[in-house]
Amino acid sequence: MQKAASLVQVSIEHLTKNYGTLVALNNVSLKIGSGEVFGLLGPNGAGKSTLLKTLVGILRPTSGTIKLDEIDIVASPEKAKSMIGYLPENPSLYTGLTTLEFLQFVGKIRRVADDLLDQEISDSLKSFSLEDKRNSLVGSLSKGMKQKVALIATSLHNPLVLVLDEPLTALDPRTRVSVKDWIGSQTKRGVTTILSTHDLDVAQAHAGRIAIIDHGKIVAVDNIEGLRKMANAKSDAQLEDVFLRLTEEQAQDPIR
Amino acid sequence: MSLGTVGVLVRYWIKGRFTRATIASLAVGEAFSVIFVLFGSSTYLSFSNKVGLTTGLSEVAGSLILALYIVGLIQSGFNGSGLPVSSSDVDYVFTSPVPPRDVFSAKVLLNSLTTILFGFPPILVLYLRFSSYYHTGALVAVLAGTVTLMFFVIGLLLSADITLSLGRGIGERKKLLRNFFIILVLVISLLPITLLIPEVPGTVAEAARILPNGLAATISVGLVSGSPGTINYLLDLALLSAWLAGFLILGIRLSRGHFYEVLEVAVPGVEKFDKPDQTSRLNPRGRSLWSVVRAKERILIGRTREARALFINAMFLSGFLIIYALSGSFQSSPTSFLFILFIIGSFGSGTASRWIEKERLWILKSSPVSMRRYVKEVFRARIAPLLFYLAPVTIAVGVPLVLSQLGQPSLLLGVVLALPGALEIAGITMAGGMYFASKYGQSSNDDILSSQAQELADIRRFLFQTVINLIIVSPVIVLVLVSQNLATSVGSDSLPELAAGLVLASIVFTAFSINLLLNRAGDAVRRREDL
Repeated sequence: MQKAASLVQVSIEHLTKNYGTLVALNNVSLKIGSGEVFGLLGPNGAGKSTLLKTLVGILRPTSGTIKLDEIDIVASPEKAKSMIGYLPENPSLYTGLTTLEFLQFVGKIRRVADDLLDQEISDSLKSFSLEDKRNSLVGSLSKGMKQKVALIATSLHNPLVLVLDEPLTALDPRTRVSVKDWIGSQTKRGVTTILSTHDLDVAQAHAGRIAIIDHGKIVAVDNIEGLRKMANAKSDAQLEDVFLRLTEEQAQDPIR
Repeated sequence: MSLGTVGVLVRYWIKGRFTRATIASLAVGEAFSVIFVLFGSSTYLSFSNKVGLTTGLSEVAGSLILALYIVGLIQSGFNGSGLPVSSSDVDYVFTSPVPPRDVFSAKVLLNSLTTILFGFPPILVLYLRFSSYYHTGALVAVLAGTVTLMFFVIGLLLSADITLSLGRGIGERKKLLRNFFIILVLVISLLPITLLIPEVPGTVAEAARILPNGLAATISVGLVSGSPGTINYLLDLALLSAWLAGFLILGIRLSRGHFYEVLEVAVPGVEKFDKPDQTSRLNPRGRSLWSVVRAKERILIGRTREARALFINAMFLSGFLIIYALSGSFQSSPTSFLFILFIIGSFGSGTASRWIEKERLWILKSSPVSMRRYVKEVFRARIAPLLFYLAPVTIAVGVPLVLSQLGQPSLLLGVVLALPGALEIAGITMAGGMYFASKYGQSSNDDILSSQAQELADIRRFLFQTVINLIIVSPVIVLVLVSQNLATSVGSDSLPELAAGLVLASIVFTAFSINLLLNRAGDAVRRREDL
């Protein structure tokens, strides 16, 4: 049974990430409020995944800071990581372990107490209808099932911050509904959620504010109404139109 | 069949498969094969000379070795891997209007060409070694090599035919016939084993001579050893050609229809498991985090091909070292102890490379565990099975050596240091392998794996790894080399103390080196950014 989360604020200040001469993130600053669901949109190669990987401590920033409340991800990575649940774009799992073994292993390395771990795994498998797959090798599961297992692994330690990179990519409609419900349940718990997606409907439905990133820079940050204004779009314009207008401007004016 | 289409397919498969980096990597592999063949053939010749093996027995031994190749290919044929295909073949070639027979022909042609191209150098070296021993000349070695390569192509065709025969278009009666034929081939191929049973007449083993492996061994070994009988060779060659033609015609007939559904698609990095459901046996309750990490690693080793590969390699190593020991090479030169060090020790780096897969690092790197400690626990879990296999081999080789050197205390010290030294080197090279895998290891199911970047990374890793490992293990080797001088200078009275002191120093050095390498490996994982 998942309990309500303590609220955590995420602050990103002047974050730059270079890969050699390539500037993947260019002086990015964002504040994501406690319990907020924050959407991250951008074309392919815009820097979304780099931002999320830096945020969860997989990549080291070239400069700038990332803090969860007062905890700096670079200075205190272990403390920060124990607060974060991360789902990569293409999660690769240990295919030679059973579903149960994989989740037990992940729970253990995320320091979940033994008493809670069993209960948490059972509850999660039940809510994702995977109970009959607990002794199946992860390698034998379908793509949708693997995605569900990865989501369970992401939240086993009841993280205070969720970082989800394209959680709905290439899933069938039934699994998409399960995943959307799961995101909804996490946000109800008050978990601060950062959601990168190409699915504009999902961003519009779940995210309070949305950042649009292009060429490593934040082009715009606001709620959907604010973004419409920035893009000089109609008041009933869909997020897709807003997104295209804003990223088009950026492409024409890359210096901004 | 359209020769143009076959040509186009072969040309683009070659373009896709043989990048400059692949060729460099294959060249390194070829060089190692040649070295291995030279070692193996010299050991065999020394052994056969010592125990007085006749050419006939060598032919039978050759026939048996080739029979093992056939057994392997029959197995892969039944697994659907007789015609290797990739997922891009399925996506682009199988969905194109190219007739299946053209695809079959192109696949067979490509596989035969690559087998001939890469099999020829080591095989030629093998027969050149034999022909120089028997003074039969280089031309004979080339002829013998050609015949052996012809046998390899026959094996490929047999495997392909078996895979094609798995299709639904083949009736039950024909499948029964096929199975009967395969069983017959297997039984006859392995008949030379009966030579080990004293009561069985030698003519039983001769029956294998009608099969491709028996024919190829008879012709090749006979030619390089200078056995007379030109007419017999011609008859044998004609029969071998008949096998080749038979399997080729059969394959062309079987590939008339749609056979794609029986082919097993090779997906790099994706393990196949016999049973999708297993008993979960991690049981983390009450166990420490690190004990769970080690248990997870042991489960993965046990369920994947790794454990099987380790076991087969250890068996192969045991056989090779025992033959080497019996050949008397160890006794003839004290520095040949180094051979034990190299052969046993090199196992460490070979088994290390599989420990990491880049795409799963997100699980570890987004968790609060210490990477240094994690790598050390993985090492502990992985070194245990390695030592489990290597220690008995070392003891099996070591005990006769120690007994044979009892009368020469100065040589005995070298043996005493070399045997634990072999296991120490295995440990160091495994830690070194883990360090380089941490730094350069790539994803195994990424498309990039088969691209130039991955191959170049592998070559770079392999070269760095070999050089660095050699530097790190050199003190252990030097200790063995100077042991005779040390033993002579201290005298036989102080030899036990000297031996104990040197073994202790060697173990302390090994522990220090392994710790250093694993710390570096942990740091390399922590710093990796190409995820």
